[in-house]
Amino acid sequence: MTSTTTPSPEERLIPNPEFAELASDERIRATAGALERNGIRAVVVPTGQEARRRVGGLLTDGAEVFNNTSQTLEAIGVADDIERSGRYQATRLRLYQMDREMQAREMRRLAAAPDFVVGSVHAVTEGGSLLIASASGSQLGPLASGAGHVVLVVGGQKVVADLETGLRRIREYCYPLEDRRALEAYGVRSGVNTILIIDRVLAPGRVTTILVGERLGF
Amino acid sequence: MFDYDSRPVTAQVILVGARSSAAAYAIRDFLTRNGRPYDWIDVDQRAGMDQLLGPGEIDASRLPLCILPDGTRLAAATVDQVAAGLGMISTPKLGEYDLVIIGAGPAGMAAALYAASEGLSTVVVEAMAPGGQAGTTSMIENYLGFPEGISGGELATRAAVQARKFGAEILLARRLDRVVPDAGAHVGELSDGSLVRGRALLVATGVEWRRLDAPGLDALLGAGVYYGAGPSEAQACRGAGVVVVGGGNSAGQACVRFSRYARRVTLLVRGPTLAASMSQYLIDRIAAVDNIEVRTRTRVVGVEGDGRLRAVVVESGGGGEQSSLAADALFVCIGGRPRTEATEDCPVLRDDAGYLMTGTDLTASGGVIPTWPLTRPPFPLETNLPGLFAAGDVRHGSTKRCATAIGEGAMAVALVHRHLAEAGGP
Repeated sequence: MTSTTTPSPEERLIPNPEFAELASDERIRATAGALERNGIRAVVVPTGQEARRRVGGLLTDGAEVFNNTSQTLEAIGVADDIERSGRYQATRLRLYQMDREMQAREMRRLAAAPDFVVGSVHAVTEGGSLLIASASGSQLGPLASGAGHVVLVVGGQKVVADLETGLRRIREYCYPLEDRRALEAYGVRSGVNTILIIDRVLAPGRVTTILVGERLGF
Repeated sequence: MFDYDSRPVTAQVILVGARSSAAAYAIRDFLTRNGRPYDWIDVDQRAGMDQLLGPGEIDASRLPLCILPDGTRLAAATVDQVAAGLGMISTPKLGEYDLVIIGAGPAGMAAALYAASEGLSTVVVEAMAPGGQAGTTSMIENYLGFPEGISGGELATRAAVQARKFGAEILLARRLDRVVPDAGAHVGELSDGSLVRGRALLVATGVEWRRLDAPGLDALLGAGVYYGAGPSEAQACRGAGVVVVGGGNSAGQACVRFSRYARRVTLLVRGPTLAASMSQYLIDRIAAVDNIEVRTRTRVVGVEGDGRLRAVVVESGGGGEQSSLAADALFVCIGGRPRTEATEDCPVLRDDAGYLMTGTDLTASGGVIPTWPLTRPPFPLETNLPGLFAAGDVRHGSTKRCATAIGEGAMAVALVHRHLAEAGGP
């Protein structure tokens, strides 16, 4: 993720707390209805643990599964399920074992078209659009079309009124938090370099969102 | 692709040790070849270690230290302990299998795939990791159907997924100690004492690197001296001086891989040219890389080190003149010797070099085959013990090529069917 201007090395960005508030159950259900009308399957669950169970029910044993870098997935244990249960071919584990110098092309191809990609979004609008930002952009291709199936777990604080507010949420809330995380985890700053907006999905059942009545991730 | 997009996000193994430690290298090699992510912390790099462990938490006399994802700490860790701690060791599910396969290299995995897909109950026992020697190859560029090449590790991973999909069991990190004929079947004794019984048994244990006879070499094993291409060491060779010994494709592929990381790669070949033993495409590839130097008519006569390899002593031209070649790593990829330890108690016939004899090779001299009780001659890949087969590099007369080993593995399954039909039973 990124902003249009690069902060100085010492600068710490402050997230706008307006975007941390959990939406009401009614608003989450209405958003789920809008997603369905846009060809995006939507399931509403009360807790992260229930979301984890639903994700497990959607994934096929033995399938190639790529878990996006996601605080949501880590918080509810889905990242563990994918990388450590042995039930799936965890794409990240296979990528990790490849030689970065010799197999760069093989790595790109493997990452681009898994059977399943599991991730989250940075905002979902009441009109049923999904917004996902990325610093490297590498996570977005499979979400848009490369992956066979897409499963997105969405905390209830990510519901926004419209696209404009969604973009503001990315820049004013997600980016500062992701920037802080990237500095701690990788020692590099993040950036809102690429944004994917999914307004409508034509392939029935390809994209499933699990909307959770809890705050999850950012 | 950014590195952080291709790393696991969950806790993985952390291994703390000295770069010069052979025990640490064995664990790194084991984890790498089994596709188990780990973070390596060199005990001499204080910065990385202090982030992880508090002062006094490292007992230098009990390294390597392996911290498992669940927080378990294994001091003076061994490969067996790490494998067990990661839950990689499982016991055979059945009391008897139609086919027991020893070795998960190309021949063994092909046999597992075809046997399982044809409904035979099948188990593979592997001491190290899927892929065998081919699994350590950085890029196989002349394997049919992969015009851009495929790494040995990726080929092995795909093979394991495919074989498991059809129901084959794969027991990893399990050594086979002994094979014993038993009432028309063959029983394998595993290193932990458990038994695996097969109505037919296929030895596909391949070969291991031939040892290089040079003074001081053994003392530096894992501390700069490695047998094979050491996939776990590629990153560590960044900016290093690397020496590769051998004239075959494995040596050539190692040179190409390490040239991407190393400052300089020197390939030492005893013969006058590479042409006799290396594929032309690799010879061309090596010639096109600036930081690879090929020295023919050159052999290793010694090494220099101080707990870690510093130089390789070579003799060139057959004139007895020796020189010292500064080196941070030496990879020995010369020939191979058959891995047949587990069959040593078995009256199975071998050639003078130890490779298993099969099929018409058993009767090539026109004599009677000892121990052979049947009226028919042995099947093509069958040894002198009915129902005990051999395929791949371990077999006398095999072509030492990945595709051939795969073909033999597939062919062995057809012969196993004939043996089982002949033997009758359930």
